[in-house]
Amino acid sequence: MNLGTPIFELKNVTKQFGSFQSLANINLQIWAGDRVALVGSSGAGKSTMINLLNGTLLPTQGEVWVLGHNLSRLPRKSLRQIQRQIGTIYQQFHLVDNLRVIHNVNAGHLGRWSFFKAAISLISPMEVGTAAIALNQVGIAEKLYERTDRLSGGQQQRVAIARVLVQNPSAILADEPISSLDPERSREIIQMLRQLSQDSGKTLVTSLHAFEYARNYYERIIGLRQGRILFDASPLAVSPSMVEELYRTEE
Amino acid sequence: MNRKDIKGRFHRTLPKQPSLLNSRTMWGLLFVAAVIWSLHESGLFERDLVNVGGWTLVMRFLIAATRPELDVEFLQLTLEATLQTLAYGVCGTAFSLIFGLVGGILSSEVWWQSISLVKFPTPWLVVRFFLAIPRAIHELIWGLFFINIFGLDPLVAVLAIAIPFGAITAKVFSEILDETPRQPLMALLNSGVSPLNAFVYSLIPQSFPNLLSYAFYRFECSIRSAAVLGIIGAGGLGYQILLSLQSLRYEEMWTFLIALVLLSGSTDFWSAMLRRSIGAPSRLDLNLHLSKPKSTLQNTQTLAIHLLQGDRLVKVSLFAAIGLLIFSFWYVNADFTKLSSPQTFDLLIGVIQDSFPPDITKFYQLFTLSAQTLAMSILAIAIAGIGGILLSFPAANNLLLPEDNSHSLWGITVLVFTRFLLLFTRAIPAPIWALIFLFVLFPGILPGAIALAIHNLGILGRLMAEVIENLDQRPLRSLQALGATNSQIFLYGILPRTLSRFVAYILYRWEVCIRATVIVGLVGAGGLGRLLTEQLSSFDYKGLVSTLICFICLTFLVDLISATVRRSLR
Ligand SMILES: Nc1ncnc2c1ncn2[C@@H]1O[C@H](COP(=O)(O)OP(=O)(O)OP(=O)(O)O)[C@@H](O)[C@H]1O
Ligand SMILES: [Mg+2]
Repeated sequence: MNLGTPIFELKNVTKQFGSFQSLANINLQIWAGDRVALVGSSGAGKSTMINLLNGTLLPTQGEVWVLGHNLSRLPRKSLRQIQRQIGTIYQQFHLVDNLRVIHNVNAGHLGRWSFFKAAISLISPMEVGTAAIALNQVGIAEKLYERTDRLSGGQQQRVAIARVLVQNPSAILADEPISSLDPERSREIIQMLRQLSQDSGKTLVTSLHAFEYARNYYERIIGLRQGRILFDASPLAVSPSMVEELYRTEE
Repeated sequence: MNRKDIKGRFHRTLPKQPSLLNSRTMWGLLFVAAVIWSLHESGLFERDLVNVGGWTLVMRFLIAATRPELDVEFLQLTLEATLQTLAYGVCGTAFSLIFGLVGGILSSEVWWQSISLVKFPTPWLVVRFFLAIPRAIHELIWGLFFINIFGLDPLVAVLAIAIPFGAITAKVFSEILDETPRQPLMALLNSGVSPLNAFVYSLIPQSFPNLLSYAFYRFECSIRSAAVLGIIGAGGLGYQILLSLQSLRYEEMWTFLIALVLLSGSTDFWSAMLRRSIGAPSRLDLNLHLSKPKSTLQNTQTLAIHLLQGDRLVKVSLFAAIGLLIFSFWYVNADFTKLSSPQTFDLLIGVIQDSFPPDITKFYQLFTLSAQTLAMSILAIAIAGIGGILLSFPAANNLLLPEDNSHSLWGITVLVFTRFLLLFTRAIPAPIWALIFLFVLFPGILPGAIALAIHNLGILGRLMAEVIENLDQRPLRSLQALGATNSQIFLYGILPRTLSRFVAYILYRWEVCIRATVIVGLVGAGGLGRLLTEQLSSFDYKGLVSTLICFICLTFLVDLISATVRRSLR
């Protein structure tokens, strides 16, 4: 990868749902190895942004460039090839809950596996070693064969992270990964993500409700308000008044 | 990397992989074995099955599809036939609902408990047992039987639908009543209200949405049955289709087929709209107890609100139903006095005297025919189940069309095409499919199995698509976001979450299939059905009784296996 080009770039991006503008005229560059927190109140457009970055949504106007490709221009097959390079962790309910943990973790391989390999693995799990190492890394190796819906919310988030580990992407996106967890569990998960990014040099983009975590664990904070970027700065440069402005309610 | 290395790295034990031999895989293996056995029974491995000479007919038949007969006079005939089938369906449904409501109350546990208020031995089970027998005998057998008594009279079609469907409705109604919360009923009973009044003021309105939803499902089935009954001479679309098929007038046949698809499609559509607007559960879920009982109260409330606020659809539907009922009775013009005439009574007595003692000399023949019938039903349901699962995927309207793409021409084309394919396959009754396949296949269980499979594939595919449409989309989107292909998403995101429900549907349709082997037997596919129809038309009542007993045992066996598998997979 050329260090000169950003890993993610939004050029004048607008995303509209019907007549409602969820993101308006966003310009943004994220470089390899960056650790970025997206903050903003509910409805500010954080999830929309994450979904644009991983190709789940396409912009209404403007261009989304990922790893040097304009996503709107890519045919489905090449889009999938880019998507393999991006791992996403969501808030909740994004695992297939009546599969065993091993299969949810192995789903990280799907971008590389053939249909037949995927089918056979459902009957007799393949690459158990890789999955076990990933689960060990997130601290729940003993849950390998458990059914996913028997796990607690925090454990399910760990499974989601293990899946990303198996996928081994160049960038990790996390959409409010901690908003349904208690403070202790939240801290563990955020630390884990940060550690992961530090160890492997992977880019990390996390959307967060809680500003404190953004300040303590990230090098760059992007504040979104009503679909626009309010600030884009290092934690030290974000003043209390900026934060107040960010979460201010319309009167 | 092997297990040992991994263990070394972890400094703790890796969990043991659960054994592959669980009840699921065991049933799966049994299923595969059953299919192989059925293929063997069908003679696929030994005999020549394809009649090469039939291809020219098939070509003519297919070409005729492009130019159905559209002459005005002929269209009038088609309209009359369609109305006749519709009217049979409506009258049959009306009687089966009356029968079902009375039988349903009498075979419900809650009724007997409320009239005695003491727990005394289970009279409802006795009623249920007596209802199981008319239920096990297919409409067509009833139809052939009534022809022997009444001759070719509209009464035949109406009764042939009313009796077995009444018994099925009674069973489902009794289960709905028993599962409805009882506190309001108990409150009324304890304040001295008579049981019948208490029912009318509590359980019946409480369970009304479920009862209504099922009634409409029965109506859809009755229309299909009415078409089938035409084949034995009762008139209507089925009869016309058979005539044009036999006289090789395929252009006319296609016109009738299109009329049948339209009739059946619009009843399905009406019923689906109504169910959605009152928030009633899916029909099959009622059958299979897959819906949550707690929704009943809420449903009643929404229904009440709909009725009070004068929801247009519900109101119009009720008036339409009443209008349709009056029209149908007038159009059918059946001679209901025949029911109570002394001549009918004498004939019935005669039949009963002729039937005993049953003929048990053909025991060995019955055994082989039973095996063939079973094989036919297994093949049919295997094809229908697998085909249904595969087609349900493109037929689900919300699937994997990324938001921005949802109007892509290709996606819509695939959706509309599969939907239409499913509608077409299920609207054409199995015996018609069998007749078509008999062009190119020699008579035997294979054409019968294929015909049943195609008809059931249409039904299963649509139901399964509905299940997929109701799935939570988030796990699918997350698989899509990591670069999985559609077929992989199907494997990892859809199948695991739907398979148990799919299997339940498939097993339920298997129970229907084993009963329906009779109707394809009628047109020349093998099995007990063929023997039954032969015995009926030659008035061999002694033989008939033993064949019927055999057939009923077979259906009970299938019901038992199906219930066992469903329970162990839950
Ligand atoms: N698929 C959609 N259809 C219509 N509107 C949408 C859709 N997705 C998002 N929106 C709208 O876009 C706006 C931004 O939504 P988004 O989910 O990006 O916000 P968010 O910052 O993630 O909020 P939260 O913190 O509540 O998750 C919201 O007003 C939402 O209603
Ligand atoms: Mg969000």
